[in-house]
Amino acid sequence: MKRFTLKSMGVAAAAALVLTACSGDADDTDSGEAYDPEAPVTLTFTWWGNDDRAERYNEAIALFEEEHENITIQGTFVDWDGYWTGRSTEAAGRSLPDVMQFDLSYMREYSENQHLLDLSPYLGEQIDTSGFDDALIESGAIEGVQVGLPTSTNTLALFYNPNLLEQTGVEPPSDDYTWEDFNDLIAEATEAGEQTGDGEPIYGGGDYTGTFWFFLQWLVQEGKTPFNDDGSFGFTEEDMAAFLELAAPLRDEDLVYPVDRGIQLLPLGGFTVNESATEISWDNFLAGYVADSGTEDIQMMPIPTGSSGEKAMFFKPSMLLAAGANTEHPEAAATFIDFLLNEPEVGRIFGTSKGVPAVQAQRDAMELEEGSVDATVVEYEEAVAEHVTEPVPVPVKGFGSIEAEYKRLAEELAYESITVDEFVELWFTEAEMATQ
Amino acid sequence: MALTDRVTRTGGLTATPSSSALKRRRRGAETRAGYAFLAPWLLGFLALTAGPMLASLYLAFTDYNLFSAPEWIGLDNFRTLLEDPRFAQSAKVTVIYALVGTPVKLVAALAVAMLLNNARRGQGFYRSVFYAPSLIGASVSIAIVWKAMFIDRGIIDQIGQNFGFEAGGWVGNPSMTMPMFVLLATWQFGAPMVIFLAGLKQIPAELYEASSVDGAGPVRKFFSITLPMLSPVLFFNLLLETINSFQVFASAFIISGGTGGPAGSTLFYTLYLYMRGFVDFRMGYASAMAWVLVVVVGLLTLIFFRTSRYWVHYSGEAK
Repeated sequence: MKRFTLKSMGVAAAAALVLTACSGDADDTDSGEAYDPEAPVTLTFTWWGNDDRAERYNEAIALFEEEHENITIQGTFVDWDGYWTGRSTEAAGRSLPDVMQFDLSYMREYSENQHLLDLSPYLGEQIDTSGFDDALIESGAIEGVQVGLPTSTNTLALFYNPNLLEQTGVEPPSDDYTWEDFNDLIAEATEAGEQTGDGEPIYGGGDYTGTFWFFLQWLVQEGKTPFNDDGSFGFTEEDMAAFLELAAPLRDEDLVYPVDRGIQLLPLGGFTVNESATEISWDNFLAGYVADSGTEDIQMMPIPTGSSGEKAMFFKPSMLLAAGANTEHPEAAATFIDFLLNEPEVGRIFGTSKGVPAVQAQRDAMELEEGSVDATVVEYEEAVAEHVTEPVPVPVKGFGSIEAEYKRLAEELAYESITVDEFVELWFTEAEMATQ
Repeated sequence: MALTDRVTRTGGLTATPSSSALKRRRRGAETRAGYAFLAPWLLGFLALTAGPMLASLYLAFTDYNLFSAPEWIGLDNFRTLLEDPRFAQSAKVTVIYALVGTPVKLVAALAVAMLLNNARRGQGFYRSVFYAPSLIGASVSIAIVWKAMFIDRGIIDQIGQNFGFEAGGWVGNPSMTMPMFVLLATWQFGAPMVIFLAGLKQIPAELYEASSVDGAGPVRKFFSITLPMLSPVLFFNLLLETINSFQVFASAFIISGGTGGPAGSTLFYTLYLYMRGFVDFRMGYASAMAWVLVVVVGLLTLIFFRTSRYWVHYSGEAK
């Protein structure tokens, strides 16, 4: 009897424990009735971001519900990675939220499979586009389908912590500095051997070659078009290796911020714990940097100049708003999108935390105090406008995957478990599968 | 099975011996009742386990990205698996974890069970206390606590520094993440411990008394009486823990932030499977990986059962 029980329990356990699966249920969709702007409607809305962003969204939603008493917004949020997992699962079940914060990286995949509502019928109706630059509207369209509208624009910037730089005795770079100059700056600041108040060594910066968008920016500086219209790459293995080799001297001498410490600080980083003096990132990160680091004094300047002598920067349309193709209330969804895009009060609520607002009315509504975060970001985008000479690379299908793969490989490169050549080979193998 | 037999037999006894038709009808009613009682579980099993399993078996032979319809590609997913360096890495990480973690955990569980078995007072209390980590161990919060303990300048790092080890945080060091996960698994020894404890209690005291009379010491008693008498329980625990160790996911997901890092050192099989499915949206590939795991675990289970007759001793069995 004992033998029988134990054995059968073992078999049952083996069978039951091995496979688990997720299931999602799709909502029934019925439509076709004429739109009644007064009918009570509940919209689901989701975004990625931190608590700070959630507070701002909640404030904006409260304002919207005040103006449109018949529409209730159910907002949810999660971090970037979890966000796309959630959306893909919903897409498979045709149950995407009515309105979503969206990103260029995933637009092509979702639009190719008709998961996003074509907003064109609502432009000029529920959605006022008069405040928009034509190019910006165009950036939310894929093959003639208006799948999203950007809330704001971002461009890359070099952030530096003047106090840390001063401590290491290194001068901030001049505007026309090159990638090589940037390397020298990082090396000098690290080699100064200074320490923070807690006794942690101060570094000049991190390994900037580990971010896929920086690689794209560098390609544009080199006069290349990262992605062709047919979805093929406009760069070769050699290009990628050349970019990765840019920071090789720093990696070899352990002059960049150590990867093992960086990983353990997540979601913070060397820059936000005031142990690293510089960081390249999107300009809307300033608000987050100031909040996380507790340092008011963070300066911004343009990214390094490429070998062509140009900075060749671009504005990336960001924080797009899109609607699920499965929405039962497209008009109400469009009304909400219009509110988030155009309402000046929303511009005041968010400031530059999502980037510089696309619409002038929202920009004007921001309370730009001299030296404030918002003022700094707006001034920065105005100041670099002369360097913004290129269109944003339009992400190919599978962009999210190849970007994530680049990040993973960069980590392995930093741990020296792979070489630059292996990095390039692995990435292209993966990219071939992801983008086909 | 045994239960149904007995029920049928009692049913047979009360029935009129001559009317076999009545008996048959009654048996049919009982079968229906049996299925009715089984239905809540059975429906759940069919809809939530068997159905998705079959679907994933089909998907394993397709190219499916969640958005568009699956496309049949035959064995391509399995061929790609063989050439995928990350697949090899994830298999390696998982096998090392199973090979090291399972024995360590079982030894800890057995050791604590034996200590508790000797305790005269407060056994129930201690049993609950030692079992507690297993109740909460698989949870997200414990993974977060674990990460905080083993991180750079965390409590483990600081204790180490007091003893002169300048190792830094374990979380960021690819060669230290595996010991950290083994410790986390070992700490959750509660479930096998309780089963061991029950097994220990069933060993007849006469055996120990007889061996004492013969002059056996504690070590001899352990290897000649405790281990053989406990072998069925040991077999059960070993099988269960091995299968469990192939499925570690939540802790790896939390501690590595869902990436399997640093440098792929925590890229457990299930985590990689998840990444393929839900980060890269390659559901066909992920399904193929899931079925490879099913087959491997199935084979392991088979091997365990086949070899068990050489080392598992069932009392009352003629040898």
